[in-house]
Amino acid sequence: MTTMVAAPPTAEWAQFHDDPIARTRVLVVDDHAAVRAGLRELLADEADFEVVAAVATAEAGIEIAGRESIDVAVIDYQLSGRNGLWLSRKLKRLPRPPAVLIYSAYTDGVLAAAAVVAEADAIVSKGKVGAELCRAVRHVAAGRRDLPSLPPRLADSLRRRLDHEDQAIFGMLLAGLEPAEVAGVLGVSPAVLESQLWELLHRLEGLPGAR
Amino acid sequence: MSFVDRSAGMRRHPRTGQRRSPAAHRRRYVPLLQRIAGVNALLLVVAVGVTIVVLAPGRISTLARSEEAAVVLAAVALVVLANVLLLRRIVGPVQALTAFARRVDYSNLGDRMPGAEPTSEAGELALTFNEMLRRLEIERRESTGRVLRAQEAERLRIAQELHDQVGQELTAVLLGLSRVTERVPADVREGALAVQDAVRHSLEDVRRIAIELRPEALDDLGLASSLEVLCERFSAQLDLDIAGYVAPDLPPLPAEVELVVYRVAQEALTNVARHSASSRAELTLTWTPTRLTLRIRDHGLGLPADSAPGTGMRGMHERAALIGASLSIGNRRAQSGCEVRLEVPLGEWS
Repeated sequence: MTTMVAAPPTAEWAQFHDDPIARTRVLVVDDHAAVRAGLRELLADEADFEVVAAVATAEAGIEIAGRESIDVAVIDYQLSGRNGLWLSRKLKRLPRPPAVLIYSAYTDGVLAAAAVVAEADAIVSKGKVGAELCRAVRHVAAGRRDLPSLPPRLADSLRRRLDHEDQAIFGMLLAGLEPAEVAGVLGVSPAVLESQLWELLHRLEGLPGAR
Repeated sequence: MSFVDRSAGMRRHPRTGQRRSPAAHRRRYVPLLQRIAGVNALLLVVAVGVTIVVLAPGRISTLARSEEAAVVLAAVALVVLANVLLLRRIVGPVQALTAFARRVDYSNLGDRMPGAEPTSEAGELALTFNEMLRRLEIERRESTGRVLRAQEAERLRIAQELHDQVGQELTAVLLGLSRVTERVPADVREGALAVQDAVRHSLEDVRRIAIELRPEALDDLGLASSLEVLCERFSAQLDLDIAGYVAPDLPPLPAEVELVVYRVAQEALTNVARHSASSRAELTLTWTPTRLTLRIRDHGLGLPADSAPGTGMRGMHERAALIGASLSIGNRRAQSGCEVRLEVPLGEWS
């Protein structure tokens, strides 16, 4: 299923080695045909990107990512069926997880909070022009994160909706800790944390059928 | 007889003018009290007359004729007066009910006619009237509910269309324009960039309108966070400093209540931004086991003394009535500014 033996080098590897041939492999997931086509064309224009596939649903996205090696997934938040954050968490569970860029009409604080839990690397507004989107793709391909900061009041109010353990997890993720570190701090197994994270995400954004 | 004369005199009125007020129009009949009292007085006078003429011709007592006449007249007057007083007690409640019925409108449908007991015809009438008011009130609440639900459904549909169709198309246009702009010759570059900017602005407008139409966060995150987001958004967009406080651990509320609270907050903050000339405002949502209280206060001009409620305010009242909540909008006593206060009884829901 997820055999990645002969995977091409990642973008980081390419940049590190200044290799002009290895390009950033991008997966596009957007349920609107015109936007999908627009993204595909825009990204394909860039010499350092290769659009592996452009699909409409989260399910199709996870299937492609299981088969192909992907460096960056550009995902619309609102998809028909499972949403972009569900896909983000699924992608991050792959043996070689791609960087995830959520491409959304709304980028307000609530989505930013949920995106942290879904381990997305960046959120880009659909109101940004092509050049800014390409810059963001390169940014996350290089292993950096770019999530909008959560207004403190909103973070507080979200925290109040969570129980103590979830609050701790949420707080650590907001502070930038990796899930493995969070599991270490809490002294729970990664599998336990994993299910807690799904529930947390579920609670944060009412995700339908998170698992 | 005088009774007939007066009634004829009253009938003359309507002919003099057709632009008369409804109140004057209603006076076209002889009031029940006068009619019964008149008939009774007539009967009494006839009875006394018959007694004097037929049963005791000439004299009915040993008094002097003039004294006798005075006594008879005084007795007749006394009986007529007593009759009027008694009749007034009977007719009074009917008149009170008429006055009450005239006062009732949709703003005070909850009022009831006092003294509605099944102990007299007037009481029965008041009782029936109160029952009718109750039915009207229920009907009114249900129809308002239907209208508001239809309105929310329509807003949701428009917001979704805006987002899924117009917004996505514009996004695609923007992506296409981005590509084109990179390649056009330098002399048209500026124009292309201007078009790109215009599309960006349209996209932002579409998004803002969609958000205002339908608070998506409400479905996803519940009332508390949605109010926080609302405060943040107003603060950011409108150069208004809004301090929001939402009490922790709100009890679970029906979706309808959450929506009403949210809409009232939204409308009140819109009013603050539009009319108050205040640079800051406070929004608080607190609760006790029996009630949920939403308050929005500003430090601005306050309501003008002669302000008539606009559509927005009426909308707030209607929404509040829908969930059995009370809404008060008024100027603050101690300080300048206006306060909107929504109190939702919680007992019914939990």
